[in-house]
Amino acid sequence: MIRRRGIAEGFGVLILGVVLLPALWLLQMSFRHNDDIMSASWRFVPTLENYTSLWNGQFPGSFVHSLLASGFSTAFSLLLGVPAAYALARAQFRGARQIGLWILATRMAPPIAFTIPFFLAFTWAGLMDTVTGLALIYVTFNLALVIWSMRGFFAAVPRSLEEAAWIDGCGVWSAFLRIALPLAAPGLAATGILCFILSWNDFFFALILTRTRAMTAPVAIVNFMQYAGWEWGKIAAAGVLVMLPVLVFTFLVRAYLVSGLMAGGVKE
Amino acid sequence: MAPRPAVGWAAQQRRAFRFGLLPALIVLAVVTLGPAAYLLVTSLTPLTPVNPDTAFDFSDPLGNYRQIIATDEFWDSVWVQIELSVVTVVTQVLVGLGLALLLDRPSRFLEALRTGFLVPMVLPPIVVAIIWKIIYTPDISPLHQLLAWLGLPIHSLITDARTAIWAIAAADTWEWFPFTMLMLLAALQMVPKEPQEAARIDGANATQLFWHVRLPYIRPTLVVAALFRLIDSIKAFPLIYVLTDGGPGGATEVTNYYAFQQTFNFSYWGYGSAVATLMVAGVFILSLVVNRMGGEAIDD
Repeated sequence: MIRRRGIAEGFGVLILGVVLLPALWLLQMSFRHNDDIMSASWRFVPTLENYTSLWNGQFPGSFVHSLLASGFSTAFSLLLGVPAAYALARAQFRGARQIGLWILATRMAPPIAFTIPFFLAFTWAGLMDTVTGLALIYVTFNLALVIWSMRGFFAAVPRSLEEAAWIDGCGVWSAFLRIALPLAAPGLAATGILCFILSWNDFFFALILTRTRAMTAPVAIVNFMQYAGWEWGKIAAAGVLVMLPVLVFTFLVRAYLVSGLMAGGVKE
Repeated sequence: MAPRPAVGWAAQQRRAFRFGLLPALIVLAVVTLGPAAYLLVTSLTPLTPVNPDTAFDFSDPLGNYRQIIATDEFWDSVWVQIELSVVTVVTQVLVGLGLALLLDRPSRFLEALRTGFLVPMVLPPIVVAIIWKIIYTPDISPLHQLLAWLGLPIHSLITDARTAIWAIAAADTWEWFPFTMLMLLAALQMVPKEPQEAARIDGANATQLFWHVRLPYIRPTLVVAALFRLIDSIKAFPLIYVLTDGGPGGATEVTNYYAFQQTFNFSYWGYGSAVATLMVAGVFILSLVVNRMGGEAIDD
């Protein structure tokens, strides 16, 4: 048994190494001189020139747009979604099952279906190519996610604590703020981070609904591919910068992601 | 037994809960049901931004749908979609299941390792697309260099209509097998120990143990994971956009990509809306299935 565990651990490391290799390749490429990239040699003199040239260009601006759109959308979705999730977890509403199905369908719907009407509405409302518009469209998937996942976290908070507070004369929402919310705080943090990652990772909506004023980092990378004469070192460096926040956040909420992200799959 | 709160309290409480739920549901309706209704309306018109009057032209409401049925390119895209979805879902489930079985041992070390497997699926899809663009571009590709060094040089996989879809499927599998793997690992660890012990005492070997004891327990998770991947595979976009742009010759143009091009490259908004409406209908039916399966997974 011990020996077989050792074999499994060895295989685990090997497989993980193979899986991570493509991402590590991107990382080393970002430190290569542009002339060095085509060469087959594995040895090279590392340089930061790809990063400095990004810093001096338009890229930091697009990075900020990504941060703002993801941040606003996450905050707004939490503000609306957390009380709703609490209400769904604590009260028996007629049609709660239908609401669950609706939320699931929202998560499943192909983005193209939202993009066409939003494009028309944004053109009419002057929200095209704005961070506000982008944050709004991210609410379509974030709000559903917040309600879905926070409902599970609130269901795990024992009801008796709030009942005791109610008896002591605490209102529903002050009991929520003083008892349920602090107890569900780790879940709240994880949900917020997940919303942020999902918005940050978006490419499709930003590609269609932004041009220059609100261009996000993922779209900026693709523009490097089309206009910058294939500067692979720069593309790699931009890729590394875009994945960095996601990797940091993933590490922070890894326990929740491993068990909790999957919970959406097995309902509640 | 704690004393019960006053009678009016229950009604007051319900009002308070409704007050908390309502704003979110209103916003959710505005940002989801609103666009869905709007999409359905535009799908009944020959809308094109070139001619604004077309937005209110309902003279032939089912025209787009008739045209879709008569267009070979649409059916080709559906076929490419089915091909890509079936291949990726099957490989992701098989690879995920295989690795989950391999890594399902009581070991703190293996548990820590799982975080690493999250990387491909949380990476921004556009970064995944860049990584694979590098791998599939012969000039700079470590894969092509390695194969050339081994004396097995290959042509570019993404510019060949016969291999492009497999190249996309490989990249998609890399990105998403961790999802099925981690889900199945979680399910495997919830399989109760007693029936496994009993079967082992009765002389069952590892294969029998898997088919007759563990598989029945993890089947609901297996089905749900596959359905989730199936539904998400319909949304595949960044990989196709960056690697092949739907080409060569439409070989990787899935329905989602077809709708995108018709709408945003060729400005057939009404037609694109109709394709998107059909996609939503398809996805909604699959969601109903997931919801039912999910329910069963809980009940078991």
